[in-house]
Amino acid sequence: MAFTTPVWSASLKKLPAFFLMLLLPLTASAAEFQIRQAQIAQIANGYVLNARIDYPLTPRVLEALENGVPITFFQDLELIHSTPLLGRFWSWDSTLWSSKIRYELRFHDLSGQYLLTIPADDEYENYPTLESALDSIGELEMLPLPRELMGQPDQLTLRLRSGLDLHALPTPMRPGALISSKWRLTSEWFEASWPSD
Amino acid sequence: MALRLIKHLSTGTAPYFYLAVLLLTLAFFLSAATDDSSRLNELFLIIFGIGLTSLLLLAVILIRALFRLYRDFKKKAPGSRLTLRLVSLFVLLIVGSTTIVYGFSVHFLHRGINSWFDVEVEEALQDSLELSRAAFGIRMRTLLRQTRMMGGVLAELPDSKLNNNLRDLTRLSGALELSIWTMDGRLIASGVETAQIFLPETPDEAILRQLQHEDDYIGLDPADDDDLELRAAVRMPASGRFDEDRLLHVLFPVNEHLSDLGKSVQDAYTDYKEISYLRQPLIMVFTLSLSLIVFLTMLASIWFAIWISRRMVQPLQDLAEGTQAVASGNYNTQLTASGHDEIGFLVRSFNQMTQRLTQARNATQRSHRLLEQQTSYLTTVLGSLSSGVITVDKDFYLRTANLASNEILDVNLQQRLESPLNRLGKISDTMRSFCLMIEDCSRKGKAWQQELELQQQSGHQTLMCHGTPLPGEAGWVIVFDDITTLLQAQRHAAWGEVARRLAHEIKNPLTPIQLSAERLQRKYAPLVEGEQAESLQKLTGTIIQQVESMKEMVNEFSEYARSPALQLEQTDIGELIREVIALYQSNPNHQFTLLNSPENISLRLDANRIRQVLHNLLKNAIEASEEAGKDVDIVISYHSLQRGRQTWLEITLNDQGPGFPQDMIDKLFEPYATTKLKGTGLGLAIVKKIIEEHGGDVFAENPREEGASIIIRLPLEDRLS
Repeated sequence: MAFTTPVWSASLKKLPAFFLMLLLPLTASAAEFQIRQAQIAQIANGYVLNARIDYPLTPRVLEALENGVPITFFQDLELIHSTPLLGRFWSWDSTLWSSKIRYELRFHDLSGQYLLTIPADDEYENYPTLESALDSIGELEMLPLPRELMGQPDQLTLRLRSGLDLHALPTPMRPGALISSKWRLTSEWFEASWPSD
Repeated sequence: MALRLIKHLSTGTAPYFYLAVLLLTLAFFLSAATDDSSRLNELFLIIFGIGLTSLLLLAVILIRALFRLYRDFKKKAPGSRLTLRLVSLFVLLIVGSTTIVYGFSVHFLHRGINSWFDVEVEEALQDSLELSRAAFGIRMRTLLRQTRMMGGVLAELPDSKLNNNLRDLTRLSGALELSIWTMDGRLIASGVETAQIFLPETPDEAILRQLQHEDDYIGLDPADDDDLELRAAVRMPASGRFDEDRLLHVLFPVNEHLSDLGKSVQDAYTDYKEISYLRQPLIMVFTLSLSLIVFLTMLASIWFAIWISRRMVQPLQDLAEGTQAVASGNYNTQLTASGHDEIGFLVRSFNQMTQRLTQARNATQRSHRLLEQQTSYLTTVLGSLSSGVITVDKDFYLRTANLASNEILDVNLQQRLESPLNRLGKISDTMRSFCLMIEDCSRKGKAWQQELELQQQSGHQTLMCHGTPLPGEAGWVIVFDDITTLLQAQRHAAWGEVARRLAHEIKNPLTPIQLSAERLQRKYAPLVEGEQAESLQKLTGTIIQQVESMKEMVNEFSEYARSPALQLEQTDIGELIREVIALYQSNPNHQFTLLNSPENISLRLDANRIRQVLHNLLKNAIEASEEAGKDVDIVISYHSLQRGRQTWLEITLNDQGPGFPQDMIDKLFEPYATTKLKGTGLGLAIVKKIIEEHGGDVFAENPREEGASIIIRLPLEDRLS
C-alpha cells in the first residue's frame, strides 16, 4: 500500500484547500480586461463601433493556453433604451439589442503560431505571437450596429464588456476556474461614446 | 389529496426511500456531468452545488438526530441505551466499510488516471513534433531561398510589369499566391493564381515588424480545413526604381501527405498535452465527486441507521413502559403490535397477558364486591336480630358481635373485637360467668345449649345460649337470647290463671259459707246458752271473719287476674302524682316530697290504673317504714330519660325504710313475694302488671344510703314541653 500514499496525500492535501477556496471571499483581481475606448461613429446613414480592449492574461491562463487548452474570449454588446420616469433619478431601461462575439484562441505547436477562430463566422486567423493575436481580438473596427434601432441616440446607451468564457473550458478545469480570481478577468461594462454633433 | 400525498411522503419509510432515489439520481448526474461529451457537463457545478447543499442538509438532520439520541441517553429514557448501542454499531460498520471502499476508489482513480500518461509516450510525441518541424524546416529553407531569388528578380522589374510577372512566377514556383507590399502594409502588386482569391492575404503586423528589424520570415501556417501552408516574406533588395522598402509575400502549399502527417502529429501532441495538463484538475473533480457521493451515502446511511435503530427499539421501549405500567397496577395497557417478527409476537403476547390480567382482576373485584355484599347482608341480618350473636375463634378470641349482644350483656363488645375471652371476663362478674360458660361448653367440641343465670344490676337475667362449631374448626358461633322477660311472662301468665281460677272456684262457695255461718249464729244462738252460746258466737264469728278475709284475698286475686282495657288519655304526670300524695298528707307524721321535673311531662296513660300503682307503692312504703319503726319520709321524683333510641319517663320513689332483702329483690314483683307480716303479696305484682300493660318496666333497688327505691319507666312517645 506504500506506493499509493503520495498520490493520496497529494489529493487529500488539496481537498481542504479546495473547500477553503469556496469559502474565501472572492477578491477582485487587478489584472482584468480593460476597455480603453469605445466610440460610435456615423457612416453614411448607419452607425459603427470602434473600440480598443486590453487583454492582460494571467500566468494561469497563459499556462493553460500553452498546454493546448483553447481559451474562449467573449465580447458582449448591449443597446439599452432608457425611458426617464422620474427625471434624472429613475428611468425604465429596456434592452433593445444585444450581441455576443466569441473568439477561440489556441496555440498551434507545430507551427508555433496562435490560432484565433471566430466560431460564429467560421473564420480563422494565425498570429506568430500572442500579443498580435490579442491585439487582433481587442481591436474592434467598424463593427456595424443595427440601423433600425438607432432612431433616438439621446435615449440610447451602447455598452460593452469582454471576458473569458469559463464555461467553454474543459470540464475538469471549469470548477477551479469558476471560483478562481485568476480566471475572472471580465471587464466592467463600458459605455460607448456617441459621435458629437 | 395533496395533504395525503405530503403525509405519505413524510411518514414511515417513504422519506428514506425518496432520499435513496435522490442520492442515486444525484450520483448518476454527477457521474454524467464529469463526462466531457455529456450535455450535463455544463451543469456540473450546479449538480455539485445541489450535492453539497444536500450534504449540509443531511449533516444538520444527522446532528439533530444524534443530539436527540444523546439527550435521551442523558435523560435515561427507556430504550435509549439500546438505541445508542445499535446506532454505534451501525455507524462503526458504515464508516468502516465506506472508508475502505472510499480509500480504494481514490487509489484506483489516481492510478487509473496516472496510467494514461507515460514519459516515453510524451517524449515520443515531442520527438515526432520535432521531426515534423525538421521535415518542414528543410522545405522552408528551400522555399526561403526561392523566395529571396524571386524577390531579387522582381526588384529589378518596373511596377507596371509586376502583375504579369507575379502571375508567371506564381505558376512557375507552384506558390498559392505572390504579392508585393510596402513595409507599412500597402499592396503594390499580386499574382493571384486561384479564381477564388481576388485579394491576397495581408502579411501580419508581426511579420512586418520582423522584416523591419531583422531577417526574412518563413513560417508554417495552419490554413483553412486544417491544412498547412508555408508563408514566406522577404525584403526586396532596394533599387532605384522605388523609393520605399518593399517585401515579397509568398504562400506555398504543403504536400498533402506531409500536411496530413503534420496535422496528425499536431493533434496528437496537443491532445496529449492538454490531457496531461488537465490531469490534476481531473483527479480533483473525480475525487470531489466521489467524496461527495461517499459522504452523502455515509450520512444518509447513518441517518437511516438511527431511524432503523429507533424503529427496532420502539416496540421494546413500549414493552418496557407497558411492563412498568403493569407493575404499577395499570392492567389496561395495550401496545400496538407491529410486524410479524418475534418482537411483534412478544407484543401480542404482552397484550394477551394484560387482557388476562384485567379479566382476572375484574373477576377478583366482582367476587370481592359479592363478598362485601354478603358480609354487609350478614351484618344487617345479625344487626337486626334480637338474639345476641358472637363468634370466637378456636383460641377463644372474640371475632364478631352483633348489636343485640351488646344490649343483652350491657357491654360494648364491638369495641372489644379481637380480645381474648378471659380478658373480656374481667369486665364484670356477668361477663366472667358468660365467658367461662362459653369456654367450658366449647371444649366439648360439639354443639351445645345452655341456660345461664346472670346477676345484673337490674336483677336476675336468664340467657339461653346455643353454641355451634364453625366449619373447619375455625371457632364457635354463640347465639344467646335474654329469656328473662319470657320466663317472667310465663310465670305471670301462670299466676294469672291461678288467680282467675281461685277467684272463680273459691269465691263461689264463700258466700254460702258466710251466709250459713251468719244464719247459724242468728238461728242457733238463742237456742244455746251459757258457755255454748259464747262458744258458738266465737266459732261462727271466726268462720265469718275468715271467710271475709278469704273474700278479700279472692278479690285481690280477681283484681290481679282482671285485665280491663286501658283507658288511655293525655295526662300530666306531675299533677297526677300530686293528686295521689294529697290523699296521704292528712297524717302529720308522714312526710312526702315531690321533686318536680324541670319540664312538664305529659303522656298517654290510664290515670286510674296509674293512681292504683302509686297507691300500692305508697302504701307499701308507709307500711314498711312503720313496721321497721322508722319515720315515713317518702321522696318521689320524675324526669325524662334517654335510653338508646327510646325516651322514657322515670318515676322514682324512695323511702327511709329498711330496704328490700337482697335475696328478694328480683322476685319482689311476683305474686306472694312479700316481706310484710300481712298482705296478700299481690300489691307489687299488680303494680308490675299495670306498668307492663303500659309498655313500661318497674324494678326495685336498694340505694347506697338506707331505704328502698322503686323505679318505674314508662315509654314517652309524645313529649309536650
